Amino acid sequence: MTALLRYQSDLLLRSQRWLPPVILYAVFLCVGVRSGEPVLDSLGYTAAALLPVAAWLTRICVTGEPAAARACVAAARGPARAQLAGLLTALFAAALLGTAATVVVALISDPASNGHRVHVAPWRATASGLPAALACALLGAAVGALTCRPVLRSTGRAVPAMLLGALLALVVAGSPAQAAVSGLVTGSRTGRAPVPVLPLVAAALVAAAAFAVSARLASRRAP
Amino acid sequence: MRQEVRLTAVGRRYGLRGPWVLRGVDLGVGPGTLVRVDGANGSGKSTLLRLLARLDAPSEGRISGRPRTAYVPERFPAALPFTPLGYLAHLGAVHGLPREAAARAAKTWLERFGAEAYGRTPMARLSKGSSQKVAVAQALVGDPELLVLDEAWTGLDAPARAELERAVAERTAAGGAVVFVDHDPRRLAGMPDATCTVTGGRLERRTGGHGAAVAGPLTVVTVQGATGSQLPSHVSEVVVSGAEIGGGRHRLVVPASRSDVLLRALLTAAPPWHVVGVVPAADDSGNRS
Repeated sequence: MTALLRYQSDLLLRSQRWLPPVILYAVFLCVGVRSGEPVLDSLGYTAAALLPVAAWLTRICVTGEPAAARACVAAARGPARAQLAGLLTALFAAALLGTAATVVVALISDPASNGHRVHVAPWRATASGLPAALACALLGAAVGALTCRPVLRSTGRAVPAMLLGALLALVVAGSPAQAAVSGLVTGSRTGRAPVPVLPLVAAALVAAAAFAVSARLASRRAP
Repeated sequence: MRQEVRLTAVGRRYGLRGPWVLRGVDLGVGPGTLVRVDGANGSGKSTLLRLLARLDAPSEGRISGRPRTAYVPERFPAALPFTPLGYLAHLGAVHGLPREAAARAAKTWLERFGAEAYGRTPMARLSKGSSQKVAVAQALVGDPELLVLDEAWTGLDAPARAELERAVAERTAAGGAVVFVDHDPRRLAGMPDATCTVTGGRLERRTGGHGAAVAGPLTVVTVQGATGSQLPSHVSEVVVSGAEIGGGRHRLVVPASRSDVLLRALLTAAPPWHVVGVVPAADDSGNRS
């Protein structure tokens, strides 16, 4: 699996297809995050913006490899593991991006609740912002996995489905990402930084299920 | 840990109500066997190979056995952001080699196919033939137990085609299984242990191949052994015919693509055999490809 992950991450890095989603994320953050604003609010925004970016990265990792090259790797290690390697590479990339963004935002934001009423230590804010960002990365990867090959094969259906899925994952009540983000936003009002453990666990379970479906279908659908 | 791949009553169709591409296929590919798959365009040859390589799951029936497999696809993409050496090192590692060994194997196989000059050229700039050499090399870097070749010879130049035939002979001699599709009927002529024909979604299996059916170029190897010594037992699996010509000498006729395998067997036997001569067979009517 290490060799597969190394191959997939090298493929992602060298293909330079990671550039558009990363630039999009940077633009999201430049628009939505100002230095000196309440930290938890900004972290909530940072986490929420990561979800569509993670979905896009997943789509890049899974569809970027030409079918014949995928077959060569799948013959060596099995189609399910080859598919899983692509999904995990995207998830790691999204998690890395989210972690970096969370740390930067925690450092440049105002360590206080809305209206500067309650002090929120930057490390405390990071401790609640990181799980939220990871939950969004996991859920975004799950959305990406369920809206691209081999689950949905036509681009015309897959891309709108991915965008809709990412939007729903952020706004529908009961979604782990929505719970994590609204926890941060509420925390910014009260000054109490919650650690969203439950949303993180729920997001991990959803991502595991989505990855399992995607890996299982890898050998069953037409190439 | 060599394993046989066995297809039992296997059928495959794409989609829940799609037409059956293959149905009722029973086929076993054991260690050391070479299987040729024939059939018209679109008859399901590629699907059969994908099933054998475990790339596709069967829609019905079952497949057992999971040897270490390498697959050469029909059309290999140049659109990979690697150099051939970088790509082959990755694939070697994916096949389970340590990283240094993978890098060494990558270099060796590129040299064998005469592509070492392009080792550091981005793959997007390779010609179709050079790209195909990379496709073939990626399958051989990992010393697979099962090698599945889907028209792997197409696009290769003559020396590379001959090299691939030798590589196939080496793999089967080393106990690996090879399954291949090729449109040239002379490809590896006389060597396959079985030929399968796909027609109308069914598989017809014909065994045999050695002896009178040999159609490819032949090589005559004359060897001399210590008095009274017997030819190594696996020599008989390679040669088309063999006869003692007196003085402890044997005249062995072997398909040209397997002559290296035969010589290796004789020279590494205990006690080793002395090679008196190696010449192309007289009745080789120039049908080299």
